[in-house]
Amino acid sequence: MIRTLRIIFSSSISYLFVPVRMKAAAFLKRHYLKLLQFIGFLLLWQIIIVLFNIKEYIIPSPLAVFSALFNPEVAAAYLWGKQISATLTEIACGFVVSAFLGILIAVIISWSSLLRSIVMPLLVFFNSIPKIAMAPLFLIWFGYGIIPNALIAILIAFFPVVINTTTGLNAVDRDLLDLVNYLHAKRWQVFIKIQFPNALPYIFSGLKISTTLCVVGAIIGEFIASDKGVGFILMDSQALIDTPPMFAGLIIIAALGLGLFGLISIFERLLIPWQRVELA
Amino acid sequence: MPNTPLISIRGLKKIFTTLTGEKIEALENIALDIYPGEFVSIVGPSGCGKTTLLKILAGLVQKDGGEIKVDKESFDPTREVGFVFQKPLLLDWRKVIDNVLLPIEILKINRASMFGRAQELLELVGLKGFEKAYPNELSGGMQQRVSIARALIHDPKLMLMDEPFGALDALTRERMNLELLRIWREAKKTVLFVTHGIAEAIFLSDRVAVLSARPSTVVTALDIHLSRPRTLNVRTSPEFGKLSMKVYDSLEMV
Ligand SMILES: Nc1ncnc2c1ncn2[C@@H]1O[C@H](COP(=O)(O)OP(=O)(O)O)[C@@H](O)[C@H]1O
Ligand SMILES: [Mg+2]
Repeated sequence: MIRTLRIIFSSSISYLFVPVRMKAAAFLKRHYLKLLQFIGFLLLWQIIIVLFNIKEYIIPSPLAVFSALFNPEVAAAYLWGKQISATLTEIACGFVVSAFLGILIAVIISWSSLLRSIVMPLLVFFNSIPKIAMAPLFLIWFGYGIIPNALIAILIAFFPVVINTTTGLNAVDRDLLDLVNYLHAKRWQVFIKIQFPNALPYIFSGLKISTTLCVVGAIIGEFIASDKGVGFILMDSQALIDTPPMFAGLIIIAALGLGLFGLISIFERLLIPWQRVELA
Repeated sequence: MPNTPLISIRGLKKIFTTLTGEKIEALENIALDIYPGEFVSIVGPSGCGKTTLLKILAGLVQKDGGEIKVDKESFDPTREVGFVFQKPLLLDWRKVIDNVLLPIEILKINRASMFGRAQELLELVGLKGFEKAYPNELSGGMQQRVSIARALIHDPKLMLMDEPFGALDALTRERMNLELLRIWREAKKTVLFVTHGIAEAIFLSDRVAVLSARPSTVVTALDIHLSRPRTLNVRTSPEFGKLSMKVYDSLEMV
């Protein structure tokens, strides 16, 4: 395991030293059109609001949303820092546990057919329960707060990790097994040297799906019962028909999801450098 | 020639059952002795079971009859076999050098002590400077040469080679033939070499075993008494021509 990781890491490190400024310049060059599009979209939005005299309680102007986010006098009321840290904690806990649990379960069910026959039916059963429907129970068990929301995130986010990892662990070219089996490789050697590295791309695609679901899970948790978090602000503002913070909340949620997705993608590049070669 | 074969195969039989339940009799009755230090080639029509034979010898496929006697006193069949597969089968996530060192890790030999040897082998197969490359940065021929270096890294006594040079261009192939003979001579290996090149088989071998079409048996085992060390011009000798004709004859291709 350590050797595999070392092999993978040593090759990743070099990637870190690609000059950052060059990357930024290249990024701007490649994406300036999208940036312009985005600015154009905001302008259009503002113009339409003014032109058609749309009421703020239906759709706020981009300026009002901006103000809800960044104007200290307005934004202070929403305590964004506190809300974001609560939601982010739920998402992060949910994700870390989903990833760990998902990979662990996948390893277990790929390891032996006996374990598979015990764990798989349970898993399928649990997955067929609508997870959101369990939220009220969590409320009874854990009360308000971070834990029940993180749990909902875990419940809906760990399954894709299990499925993807299992697929990856089993998607080994049979000939690759011959390659180590003729040397009488032990079961764990086959696992560590062949199956696990082979599964890495699959694991990452599972993790990416899981990040999105973690965000959804955390927000739904906050909708159902909470006293903080971005989802809480959405519900709270809804009662007051105060739309600018609702839009602001949506933007924050999207940014959180995107950020996490990006983070996983960076890890993916670092851990799977051999795929970069193919894409280049 | 020493009188105890390294491997003695008698009446070897293999019947595959396909997913549709159809029975395919791949090997019907294979008999072959391979003596220590010998270079034996196997030729035969495609699909006759050459790969299957090698895999049975490597313990990757179960036989359905017959016996294989191994002289366990002169070599350890669990650690001293090197297999070059038909495909390169490199691990995408490992650099070339780490691919070459794979058998070392599996056999739990100290990796650091083999690093130099791995580099020498890469040089031997003409891949000096590619140690840090990833397999998908290499051409098919280069990948196959990495796989040859990998099969040699643990200094096996018996080399099982399944059409190893089939994907190489003619020039590289000739160079690899000469290198292989050099390795074989210097390291005193026993080689069982599957090929579809009749000239290649004769050029390399002490003996060429010709398999029939499925269900296959050994039709002929032809001794090749060309003097060694051999150079490429031996292939233009009349003796070489006669031997080729004999092989074509037994393949019923004349
Ligand atoms: N795992 C398998 N299941 C079913 N049939 C197989 C299997 N492996 C090989 N065969 C069949 O056995 C025959 C011999 O195959 P192989 O040894 O690969 O031939 P060769 O290497 O001489 O071309 C072929 O007809 C092939 O279809
Ligand atoms: Mg074959």
